[in-house]
Amino acid sequence: MRIQFNARNRAFHFEAQTGARLLYAGLAAGINLPYECGSGTCGTCRARLIAGEVDDLWPQAPGRKFLKRAGEFLMCQCAARNDCTVEAASFVYNMDPGACSPAFRAGTIKETKALTRDVIGFSVALAEPADFDAGQFMTMQVPGVAGYRGYSMVNFERVATRLDFVVKKKPGGGASEWLFNGNGDGAAVELFGPLGAATFYPSLGKNVLCIAGGSGIAGMMSILARAQQERYFDQFNGDVFFGVRTYADAFYLAELSQLASGFPERLNVTVALSDEAVPEHALRAHPALGFEQGLVHEVAGKAMQGKYQNVRAYLAGPPPAVDASIRMLLLEAKLPADNIRYDKFS
Amino acid sequence: MPMQKRFVCPREQVPKNGMIECETEGGLMLLVANAGDDYFAYQAMCPHQDTPLCEGLYDGAVLTCHQHLWQWDIRTGAAMGLAETALENFPVQVEGDSIYVVAQSALNAAELFIGVSDTTLSAITALAQKEERDAGSICYDFGAPADDFFVLESGRVEFLIGRDERLSSAGFMLRKGEVFGWAALLENQPQRIARATCLEQSRLLRINGKQTLDLLEKDPASGYLVMRRLSSLIARYLASSGSK
Repeated sequence: MRIQFNARNRAFHFEAQTGARLLYAGLAAGINLPYECGSGTCGTCRARLIAGEVDDLWPQAPGRKFLKRAGEFLMCQCAARNDCTVEAASFVYNMDPGACSPAFRAGTIKETKALTRDVIGFSVALAEPADFDAGQFMTMQVPGVAGYRGYSMVNFERVATRLDFVVKKKPGGGASEWLFNGNGDGAAVELFGPLGAATFYPSLGKNVLCIAGGSGIAGMMSILARAQQERYFDQFNGDVFFGVRTYADAFYLAELSQLASGFPERLNVTVALSDEAVPEHALRAHPALGFEQGLVHEVAGKAMQGKYQNVRAYLAGPPPAVDASIRMLLLEAKLPADNIRYDKFS
Repeated sequence: MPMQKRFVCPREQVPKNGMIECETEGGLMLLVANAGDDYFAYQAMCPHQDTPLCEGLYDGAVLTCHQHLWQWDIRTGAAMGLAETALENFPVQVEGDSIYVVAQSALNAAELFIGVSDTTLSAITALAQKEERDAGSICYDFGAPADDFFVLESGRVEFLIGRDERLSSAGFMLRKGEVFGWAALLENQPQRIARATCLEQSRLLRINGKQTLDLLEKDPASGYLVMRRLSSLIARYLASSGSK
């Protein structure tokens, strides 16, 4: 099907296969269509149908609450039935020539393992290698569960044949429950990506601040992996704050210890425990890490006072934690908005 | 049709260096903010994704929409940081304990003219001719002389570029204060390179480019601001990804 996409500044044309979500078809054609979550929750990809017909593949998508006028739909959830003209009120451009191109990808889940009582890690072996930037995510569709969900890559490598992810258990969350029920290993999955603009490049030339809650640490691990490979923290400061409820909910502590030990001068990693005092054995087990009691944005705000010169912040985690961090960084730290990077999932 | 003075709210309702959402007499939804001794009123919804701006962040100087961190200078409504467009400003009058908004033309809402001196803006306003156009009406066509530029008051205008029957959309405008036909403000651009069509009933201001440039030449400070904004406006349409 031929799709005409009318942006505020110009029209774009692309092909969409039967059943392909319009957002994915457009992105795969190199058009930087507006999106954030790519999975039906944030509403950023809403557009208006001018001509043609679309099928809504997930009529219950929470992001539909952002649709206000007749003819509006979410490009990430709708597929064209015939040639369509759609319109969105944003300025849209082609992707940068150097950008990692989003595409449909096939893979197989392997090495599913429990990281805490409600977080598991898993890997996807890709049929074809993929390039992505540190901090990006893929959306993934698992057998028997309708729709794609977003997962940030934990690892970082070029021409990757393997992607590492974490997922938190969500009661009633289709894909998450499917993984927790032991269906993962060996299952064939479909992915689309890489997606997301909360990316880190070593040419940034700024100190890096990461504030993550729970499974939001995934994308930070990728950023830290790239920074480590390039010895970024020989020159710039890194401050990482990882918020969890209790010490038992924390994971990747060995990996974070190893990173922090590699750059003792400039990389500081602090684990914030919101629901309990810091147990003594935590400090003994991980002497390279800091531990504080409190909400992660409060712990970060206190520790970062007076240290916001030349800082780029990356945020991820549950929406209330991200919102609280944004508020702190804008109102207290007075960080310019274009140096606060995150992808909205709500 | 000038908007008459409308009561907004008592002054005491707006927190010091804070903001509230308010419905005026006549059902206009506004964001009302206090900054020191002054009050400002803007459109209630973020121009990006229609998020209520009152849910955003405000520190007494800079307003931030919490959804995608678009920011504006509370005193002018000018876009800052990531924001791609200015906020529509509603001039405020404070009388005793009451806040009112008063009428203004689309010219005052035009991002192109933010910061222009009152004298020059009044002179440009005096040049403006109001036009009421039906859906389907063509404002200008390929090859026509580019004498005037337009400011959108209300409605929706679409642009087509191309040759013969091979026309393609070059975008559209839908916000009060958006400026098009700006070839009239450039040198050596005597002809239109696009067709501008009203997609619905639209109200426009038509302003002569040459006379506007003469006014700006007499007020170089304002002229410099307008040229700066004009160049970013053009860049926004020409730019590739990653730049605005």
